[in-house]
Amino acid sequence: MSDILYFLENKVQIVALSFLLFVYILRIFWLFRFKSRKEQSYSEGNATACIAHSMLNVAMPWAMESIRKKPFFYIQFILFHMGVIFAIAATFIIPYGPQLFNIQAVVWIFQFIVGMAFIVGMFRLYRRFANPSIRLISSRDDYFSLILMIFYFGVAFLAIPNNYHRSEWPLILFFALTAFFLIYVPFSKIGHYLYYPFTRFFLGRTMGHRGVYAKRKKCRYPEGL
Amino acid sequence: MSDKNISKKIKIEDVTSLPLELESQQKASKEKIGSVTEGKLTLYDRQKRNVERFHELLRKKMTRQLASSMVACVHCGMCAESCHYCLSRPDDPQMTPVYKADQIRRIFKKHIDWTGRVFPKWVKAGSPVTDEDLNHLKNIVFGTCSACRRCTFNCPMGVDTALLIRFARGILTDLGIVPEGVFNVSRDQWETGNQMAVTEEDYLETLDWMKEELQEELDNPDIDIPIDTEDCDFMYTINPREIKFDPRSISHAAKIFHFADEKWTMPKWGWDQTNFGLFSGDDKLGAYVAKNVYEAAERLRAKRIVISECGHGYRSTRWEGYNWAEYDQNIPAESVILTLMRYIQNGRIKVNPAKNSEPVTFHDSCNIARSGGLLEEPRWVLNKVCSDYREMSPNRRENFCCAGGGGLLSMAEYKPLRMEVAKIKADQLKATGAKLVCTICHNCVDGLTDLIKHYDLDMKVVQVLELVSHALVV
Repeated sequence: MSDILYFLENKVQIVALSFLLFVYILRIFWLFRFKSRKEQSYSEGNATACIAHSMLNVAMPWAMESIRKKPFFYIQFILFHMGVIFAIAATFIIPYGPQLFNIQAVVWIFQFIVGMAFIVGMFRLYRRFANPSIRLISSRDDYFSLILMIFYFGVAFLAIPNNYHRSEWPLILFFALTAFFLIYVPFSKIGHYLYYPFTRFFLGRTMGHRGVYAKRKKCRYPEGL
Repeated sequence: MSDKNISKKIKIEDVTSLPLELESQQKASKEKIGSVTEGKLTLYDRQKRNVERFHELLRKKMTRQLASSMVACVHCGMCAESCHYCLSRPDDPQMTPVYKADQIRRIFKKHIDWTGRVFPKWVKAGSPVTDEDLNHLKNIVFGTCSACRRCTFNCPMGVDTALLIRFARGILTDLGIVPEGVFNVSRDQWETGNQMAVTEEDYLETLDWMKEELQEELDNPDIDIPIDTEDCDFMYTINPREIKFDPRSISHAAKIFHFADEKWTMPKWGWDQTNFGLFSGDDKLGAYVAKNVYEAAERLRAKRIVISECGHGYRSTRWEGYNWAEYDQNIPAESVILTLMRYIQNGRIKVNPAKNSEPVTFHDSCNIARSGGLLEEPRWVLNKVCSDYREMSPNRRENFCCAGGGGLLSMAEYKPLRMEVAKIKADQLKATGAKLVCTICHNCVDGLTDLIKHYDLDMKVVQVLELVSHALVV
């Protein structure tokens, strides 16, 4: 392994990860700077249960009509985000547990997932260009982030076998891209996962309080009124 | 479906370029009405730096809930699958909820968010430059969205677009950049305490008239519609539309309360449970109107507040009003539907479903279902009082807006678009084969009546109180 690859796999990743963490902490402080409204009415539901329901919404494709109408979109979503998880996992496995990728089946599973994510990414890029409604709302960040992800999946596919003795370039590119991602993500739409718990928490809390979801079985008012 | 009354597809530019009408504002200025001189209602002033003021208000009014919905959107476009504007105008990219929300989001990005402040073009951040831009925003947030929250429930990220729309409306209201109808209704509610400028005299006379009719109908001179009686089991609050256009709904309620042997009252002041602050985004108005109701209940030492059939009134009085008014709830409040349920469950009234034999379907008001949590209760009552109940599809949390929500009924200039996008609701109603569509919202009564007429449907709109009253076994 060359010095540059070792440096990228280790020190650069740690610095980039620390940066990401630092910016995320700042971002959360920034979000908490805004006042939050508390509910002053009597509750008719179980807000905690509804917050949990809202958070787990991502795993309940039947819960949203938009997904029920477009199940293929949900499958795409799963594959794309599985690709992200597997690619990120690879950035830790390669430097800290490379023996896992000595098992050929594991390499194939990882490659299959990121490969599928690559195809889904291409499909999504086509949709973003071809659908006038999506095109109208798309920013440069939307296009750039998606293209970057597609490229990343492609590079991850080549890097996962971890054959640095054959060629280091896929690994160098993969880790350089990972470092770039870690720095770019907090400022782009890719950082949306940071906000997911917040939006879902607020929606779940409001709707749970009102009994839109997780309604109490018994009315809280005294009997006989 | 007959197409004879269906207008041609309108151009969206005709909606978004509608000018700011100022006739009512100028009249209010000349007359120096109290709400204007006291600074409750803002008049548009082109001499003021409105764009700058807009940015200030954006910062001042921002909450954590709003900020998270501003930053969380990934532009996936799934919201388009749920919006009745999009589904009725699928070829119009400006109809997607995300596009509408982005009109306010871009300003947030430019002035508050990080990346947009440094690299605005990268994230499509932008800012209104002239008052004309603010007027354009007004036409989008007031004219092309009924804030039904259907997109919110269909957003994978949980972005509350309806909240963003209301937020933008509120800022524009603070600048006087509002549709004339919004200004007029807000003025009336500030000035008279109710949306339709019903005078105390008209209010009391109408209640008296309804009482006399009921006494005659039931041949019982003891039947009363009590006013300002203290220590009752509940205080009944209504929609001013009931006084002005539909007083029978009050007599239906009074009749049921009579047979349930209820100890109830209506307040002389604080009887309007509707709240235009919900639609205009004006939390000050919202607080004032809601507080009128809460204080009336306290003054009368009522054990409960019962809210008549009204969607936005229920949401405002039961849920939002306490937050706007920063008023900790101390008296239970409920929809009259729960009161009816209790009467039937406890055997306080007897009903015969055979008396309502026509096929009936139920339309969920957005503010009662998606934003209010009353989903099964109205169905439970309807199944007790109707013999042929038919569910419409989709229903409950997923039901479509009547297309007249979000205050759109008061904004005549947006009616052509409202009628066009009501097609999705018209198709939904027609598929049920019902002759009656029941709703527990006066706003939806008008919205549905408009679309039934426009799309020439063989249907009539009814409310639950009317059906229960009709099914009563006396």
